[in-house]
Amino acid sequence: MKYMIMMFGGLGAATQDRSAEWIASMHELLMKLDTELKQSGECVASDALVDPSQARTVRFTGGAPVPTDGPFAEVKESLAGYWIVEADEERALQIASRVVGYTEYPMEVRRIMDHSAQP
Amino acid sequence: MNGQHRVEDLLREVAPQVLGALVRRYGQFDACEDAVQEALLAAALQWPGEGVPDRPRSWLLTVASRALVDAWRADSARRRRETAAALDPAGHMLPADAAGIPGVGLPGAGRDDTLALLFLCCHPALSPPSQLALTLRAAGGLTTAQIAAAFLVPEATIAKRIARAKRHIRAAGARFELPDQPQRTERLAVVLHVLYLIFNEGYTTSSGPALQRTDLTAEAIRLARRLHRLLPGEAEAAGLLALMLLTDARRAARTDTDGRIVPLADQQRDQWDTAAIAEGQAILTRALGTGPVGPYQLQAAIAALHDEAPTAEATDWPQILALYDVLTTIAPGPLVTLSRAVALAHVHGPTAGLALLGTLDTDDRMAHTHRLEAVRAHLLEQTGNTTAARHSYLRAAKITASLPEQRYLELRAARLHHPAPPANPAD
Repeated sequence: MKYMIMMFGGLGAATQDRSAEWIASMHELLMKLDTELKQSGECVASDALVDPSQARTVRFTGGAPVPTDGPFAEVKESLAGYWIVEADEERALQIASRVVGYTEYPMEVRRIMDHSAQP
Repeated sequence: MNGQHRVEDLLREVAPQVLGALVRRYGQFDACEDAVQEALLAAALQWPGEGVPDRPRSWLLTVASRALVDAWRADSARRRRETAAALDPAGHMLPADAAGIPGVGLPGAGRDDTLALLFLCCHPALSPPSQLALTLRAAGGLTTAQIAAAFLVPEATIAKRIARAKRHIRAAGARFELPDQPQRTERLAVVLHVLYLIFNEGYTTSSGPALQRTDLTAEAIRLARRLHRLLPGEAEAAGLLALMLLTDARRAARTDTDGRIVPLADQQRDQWDTAAIAEGQAILTRALGTGPVGPYQLQAAIAALHDEAPTAEATDWPQILALYDVLTTIAPGPLVTLSRAVALAHVHGPTAGLALLGTLDTDDRMAHTHRLEAVRAHLLEQTGNTTAARHSYLRAAKITASLPEQRYLELRAARLHHPAPPANPAD
């Protein structure tokens, strides 16, 4: 089973009021966790996205797709980064809990759908 | 492990020679390049276990020639007739092992074709990403998988990029030969730029699978070294090699044990590679004055001044500023202005640097890089304007697409901020 563990843009906004030590420890936690998940082979993919202020949105406007500057959703809800892990739900929740335990900011854990038609 | 490295070094050394020999004999750069790639893969599989053959180049020529013949046989008869008529009037059905027989070997097999290959791979008809990928594979002897790992993209992406590059080379009617003057100088500039890009690609990223990225800088240095050996009279080729060595010498000090970026001023200078610095200085000293001074020699001279300073405070900034002044005259550009602003700030104070940065605000080429804001933030911090500095650091952190850079900038911003206890934690 694969799960996607998602981190949201609101965290970035929240870190602006934190101390340098707090931010340094958070970076450390994220890097350490990422290394652990890669070494254990659980990590299928992981990436961070650029700040949502750099996003562009393509909308269907006046009968044609038109790109505009800025994200589609509220910046708070914008995806900031993710891990895709090969794990069961309990383990995926455990991984997310390690980050949330420090940041106190919510993360979403969602199963990735199978391509095969299994029962 | 050591044997593995020895095999890889050997393969990279002979790969361009084998490819050059095949192309001169059979034409069809794209088919020959595929065949050599197949031979390299076979060697990479067999040699570490079975030992390196007595004549590795002949071995590779034989296997590559067989692969070429197999590929031709697999083609449809119609296509084969067309190909034979158009590109291979001499007939291409060689005995499968002809290349391995002494005396029947391919003409000019001892020649170093690296130069002609580099010119072909860096053909102006190709996009820079294609030039990079093709140069690494055809002239560098790397496998598609190794290139993909170095650029952190799927193998299929690089395979497609290389296939497209080879189609463009064929469509452009590019020849496997050294271009004549005056094109040669122009084309050499493209080759130097591609090697510079390969180096930067490896050097500017310090996160993730760092080792693979280091491979890219090592490969760029190896190719630049080879180019310098083949063209000892080209001052800019020497300048580029010197620049790479003098820059790469600081690699170990650029990140701390946690992978975080350490700016030049804070680096542990005893971690710098003194042998690389000495070699870079020697190459640069020999090159200076032998030809027109160019951007690579100037940048190498600037890098040398940084490397020579025992402490950040001892850096000869007036001399660096003078070199940036020359660079601005012969190769102006927004990134040169940016670096010159840093030098200017060191010599004449941060306000002078900030004034020069202001001239870049309306430059569209700077709109998508965080560097302008990052430099501005540093200079504002020096003036004591912490509020504006913090604002600039955060802006730069939002623009950057590099995770280590973003983390560095967020930390710099946070250091200038002394938060009051949150009044409303729920917000």
